[in-house]
Amino acid sequence: MTVFVCGREPEDIFCGIYDAWMSRLGHDHVRLEFEGCDRELFCEYRQVETTAEKAGKVTDSIRKKISQEVYEASYKAALSREKDRADKLYRFLVYAFWAGNRVMDMLQIPAVNEVFSMNRHLNRELDHMLGFTRFSQTKEGVLFSEIAPENDLVVLMASHFADRMPMENWMIYDCKRNKAAVHRAGGGWGIVRAEKSQWQTRLHKEKEEEMFERLWKTFHQTIAIKERENEACQKNHLPLRYRSYMTEWNR
Amino acid sequence: MLIQEAMDIQEKLKILSDAAKYDVACTSSGVSRNGKKNGLGNTYASGICHSFSADGRCISLLKILFTNQCIYDCKYCINRRSNDVVRTAFTPEEVCTLTMEFYRRNYIEGLFLSSGILYSPDYTMNLLYHTLYRLRNVCGFNGYIHVKAIPGADPELLRQVGFLADRMSTNLELPTAEGLRRLAPGKTREKILQPMRLVQRGIVQQDQMRLEYGKSSFSGTRGVAGGEAGNAAKAETGKRSFVPAGQSTQMIVGATPESDYQMIRVAEALYRNYDLKRVFYSAFVRVNDDSSLPALPGGPPLLREHRLYQADWLLRFYGFQAEELLSEDRPNFNVLLDPKCDWALRHLELFPVEINRADYKTLLRVPGLGVKSARRILAARRSARLDFGDLKKLGVVLKRAVYFITCSGKTMYPFQIEENYIAAQLVGEERRKAWEIEYHESFRQLSLFEDNRIWAPVTREDAAAVITGSL
Repeated sequence: MTVFVCGREPEDIFCGIYDAWMSRLGHDHVRLEFEGCDRELFCEYRQVETTAEKAGKVTDSIRKKISQEVYEASYKAALSREKDRADKLYRFLVYAFWAGNRVMDMLQIPAVNEVFSMNRHLNRELDHMLGFTRFSQTKEGVLFSEIAPENDLVVLMASHFADRMPMENWMIYDCKRNKAAVHRAGGGWGIVRAEKSQWQTRLHKEKEEEMFERLWKTFHQTIAIKERENEACQKNHLPLRYRSYMTEWNR
Repeated sequence: MLIQEAMDIQEKLKILSDAAKYDVACTSSGVSRNGKKNGLGNTYASGICHSFSADGRCISLLKILFTNQCIYDCKYCINRRSNDVVRTAFTPEEVCTLTMEFYRRNYIEGLFLSSGILYSPDYTMNLLYHTLYRLRNVCGFNGYIHVKAIPGADPELLRQVGFLADRMSTNLELPTAEGLRRLAPGKTREKILQPMRLVQRGIVQQDQMRLEYGKSSFSGTRGVAGGEAGNAAKAETGKRSFVPAGQSTQMIVGATPESDYQMIRVAEALYRNYDLKRVFYSAFVRVNDDSSLPALPGGPPLLREHRLYQADWLLRFYGFQAEELLSEDRPNFNVLLDPKCDWALRHLELFPVEINRADYKTLLRVPGLGVKSARRILAARRSARLDFGDLKKLGVVLKRAVYFITCSGKTMYPFQIEENYIAAQLVGEERRKAWEIEYHESFRQLSLFEDNRIWAPVTREDAAAVITGSL
């Protein structure tokens, strides 16, 4: 068994897939793992070097030879919280290149089902995060938001908010992965890596901000119908783990 | 009556959101629109929930009344003329500020603007129009707007508002003319249905225009859809379309003695004749102490509301007709079984259904199979023969379906296809759920005993058993 060791970002994973595939060792004799995983006896370990070219080759051939749909599913799988996502994506692609776009309907096949479940979990969390993310206005003129999703959602969220708020400066910071999406008013957006301390000292809440936060909390309370109160139902729809980042729960 | 103009926005929001909360429609769905270069906002066809309130309902829109002053005296309404509550009104500027600032912080998906009737329907509709006009054209708001069509307002006004909003709604509130006469003096069925018809016509005309002119040349003439006044509307609103997310309505459940059968018949007629996107059901909450209103010692009829929503889904997505679910002889839903299970049990001759062969329509009629599951089954069986293990992998929930399907001619385990047996299996599961809805609980601790019985009175035998120690 030859193990290809790659980084955790989508680009790293696609490069790992390229190296493993092109090694011509046969799909059954290769495996993908992340850096820092436990090592086994009787395995050969090869370090994967990440280059834009290799990643581009993989994504291009998925798009052209299979379909955009499969590419999107693969990209989302690479962003998943799943620890073994690199290898699972590899197994999925083996099927995908064989079956073509039909693979999206072959959920009874375990390798396909794995990627499907990863996608489902990620999409569900993305749906939640698009609604539950809260921004606050800073003195520096930036709308700032802190999130801690289980899947690596910053990129997907950024494209949503770029369409929604094109004329605002905003920043979404993922405090689990120490990276942020930063958007300039009337311009584009990009991903930056940053420790919490780097922006924490530079951003300050606007004075008016508290007034709107108070207004929102008021609304959140008065809109509930007392006769129908149902805490369990509320918890089902809005799990506790999201609440520490939401304005209305910071009392 | 106290009318306070000079009140701070915090107080106003408290009063006017409190007064708006009995309107249950809070969806932001039905229209997909990309962001605008110099504006703020876009919309998603599936809608986005931004928070959940203490009653477990989704908060998606900033749901407020423009004013809680009202000339009507509807018995069930908290804002009725004869109630002695503090009255206030927003200004258009205040509504715009709240919407824009909440939206920027991602608190909300858009605005839901309703209102009490101030002075006259026309006057009120005009206020709403000016608010929306400002929000769209001065503030550049491009998110979701749901607005009430006020019955009795000038058709031209309604049309103009329709070009600014995404969804419009007129609440029927009470399903029969008799109910309206009793609880809503001053309103008639005709008056409520009139704006609904106007909005429907506007949408239909627009669709015809789209067909006739094709998409490319149409963009410039879209405004004409509203009739003669269309040109003016077009000039003012640019390329905006007319009520793109369709219209909805709401009926109160349990304020008047109508049966479930009457309710879903009305809903079905509304879907058919008025092309409504949604009919909402709102369990009656007794906010006014009025002798003509029913007393509800057990709280709002939540289980009944739940059953109506289930039936509503069957009408819209599963190809059912109201007559199939209920009839004059059986006018109300089974408390113990959901409407689809109930229907299937009465039609056991149609089951079991073979998963590898049945068509889409037939699959949809199987209890436990939804639109998503049915589609996945159709897609997956093209490349393989499915068995029960495969169904689980597809994410199909077998709890109820298992009694109604076969895979390659076999049921999952041997059992008798017999009404009483299956009913008993389904009821055990469903009773738990129904209990949870009635008693506001979603989780309960497991108990060694059949704890649905704890509410049954102690019988003689029980008492004797305790004394003799023969438990």
